[in-house]
Amino acid sequence: MSDEADEQGIKLVMAVIRPDKLSDVKTALAEAGAPSLTVTNVSGRGSQPAKKGQWRGEEYTVDLHQKVKVECVVADIPAGDVVDAIADAAHTGEKGDGKIFVLPVESAVQVRTGKEGEPAV
Amino acid sequence: MGWAVVIPLQVDPSVIAQGVNYVWVLVVSFLIFFMQPGFALLEAGQVRAKNVGNVLMKNMTDWALGVLVYFVVGAGVATIVGGLTSSGGVDVAAAFSYIGDSGAWIDWLFGAVFAMTAATIVSGAVAERMDFRAYIVFAATITGFIYPVVQGLTWSGGLLSGGGYIGAALGVGYLDFAGATVVHMCGGVAGLVGAKMVGPRKGRFDSNGDSQPIPGHSMLLAVLGTLILAFGWYGFNVGTQATVLATTESGGLEFMGAALGRVALVTTLGMGAGAVAAMIVSTSYQGKPDPLWMANGLLAGLVAVTGAVPHVTWWGGLILGAIGGAIVLPAYRWTVDSLKIDDVCGVFAVHGVAGAVGTALIPVFAVGGFSGTQLVMQVIGVVVIAAWTIIASGIVFAITDAVFGLRVSEEEEEEGLDAGEHGVSVYPEFVGDAGPDGALGSPTATDGGSDVRTDGGVVEDETVEANGGDSQ
Repeated sequence: MSDEADEQGIKLVMAVIRPDKLSDVKTALAEAGAPSLTVTNVSGRGSQPAKKGQWRGEEYTVDLHQKVKVECVVADIPAGDVVDAIADAAHTGEKGDGKIFVLPVESAVQVRTGKEGEPAV
Repeated sequence: MGWAVVIPLQVDPSVIAQGVNYVWVLVVSFLIFFMQPGFALLEAGQVRAKNVGNVLMKNMTDWALGVLVYFVVGAGVATIVGGLTSSGGVDVAAAFSYIGDSGAWIDWLFGAVFAMTAATIVSGAVAERMDFRAYIVFAATITGFIYPVVQGLTWSGGLLSGGGYIGAALGVGYLDFAGATVVHMCGGVAGLVGAKMVGPRKGRFDSNGDSQPIPGHSMLLAVLGTLILAFGWYGFNVGTQATVLATTESGGLEFMGAALGRVALVTTLGMGAGAVAAMIVSTSYQGKPDPLWMANGLLAGLVAVTGAVPHVTWWGGLILGAIGGAIVLPAYRWTVDSLKIDDVCGVFAVHGVAGAVGTALIPVFAVGGFSGTQLVMQVIGVVVIAAWTIIASGIVFAITDAVFGLRVSEEEEEEGLDAGEHGVSVYPEFVGDAGPDGALGSPTATDGGSDVRTDGGVVEDETVEANGGDSQ
């Protein structure tokens, strides 16, 4: 365990990405040493321009775009490495690539073993 | 008080027979039409949610555009090809006389529902990436030309029939009762050619060329579509036994129950055996019985006996159906793993291979005993129809590719053809569930301007960051 990781404690890296980038992101996370993740289908709004939907010739605004939310909790691996891995893998350069957030995690429990804290992660 | 005069019923029995027979033909035509929703559901279930609208558009186009083309061109082409490739001779005006002859229209409709079945098979192979304009051109061509030529070579008395050049040379006609090869193999092979030429869907093969599954969005729709197809298939097979009442030489009427019973039974046994065989094969291959393979096997069993139903013994039909169902999985794996062709719904395995094998083997299980000459004729027939379909559809797809491009852009394939080709979403989310302020993407009519507004969503990137960001 590196000093940096010692200092960081447990971190939640939460990323919202393009659905078609999920496969690349999973690969990148595995390569970064943080293969465990939780994935959710989400919809949201950011800088990506709204799309036009239509129903029988009447238009409506689709400004909630379908995204995938990836959550990755790390202790040993520096959260910065995980962020870099996701950012690289999810990048296209177009609006709508997504965002990555890093949050502190107060505690963790591994359900199977009952381990608490960093060993649980 | 009057006299009761008893007048004996004076009716020409041939009129009764004709009336009953044509009512039967109309009913089965409607049944065969009902295979269209079956195909639509089967194909829609096997694609991803973002491409369902495109699949539905293709299926509706096959039918709607196809009947127009087949009326104006297709049915006449079949007759002309029949005459050209036999000693029958060609009379172009007579070939198109059905257009003005109301007495010919029931027969035309009966022919049309078969033509549209061949056309609609193709969309299952090329789903999720073909340009819609390119597909429209192909749908018109297969209903107006490719399929009618096959029909002409066989059912309209052409090359392969008893009176055609090959048939007359061998002394036997090609047997394909309801179109296992004429309809199904034609569609299945055209689909294979289309799938090859348009290329695999993005992500179907990895960088090593190994196949990666792209699961469809609803196995429920696919299996329900299969069972609806099977229902319509009774019209396809049993209805081709179009004579319910025949007039006898003595002027009486004879019910053709034995002939109808044979096609109904063999159709049913073939379907059952195909499904069971596919269940067994898929279980031995995958470890567990798989609903989609069983559904594919049920259809392949039907295809395998479609050409054979009046010609084979009941146990022969059962065996043919079982062979059709058993080879679906290996034929599909061969298409994907060896040919590297992304046939989305496996139409080549289900309609092409099962149709070819089932029809070629008819003489082996024939009611009247084995005939080597007939077997040669069957193999020649299968080869001729397959070769014509490959060449003709290859040329049409190549021309279409040059004019429109066969394939949508990579971005559009990613986004889905529903949005890209048709501007719709079949499964829209977050529509009409907005609060009073309509902030969450309510069905906002464009208020005055033509631009779609974003409810404040579009802001400069810097602003987003300054605000602490948003979720994207």
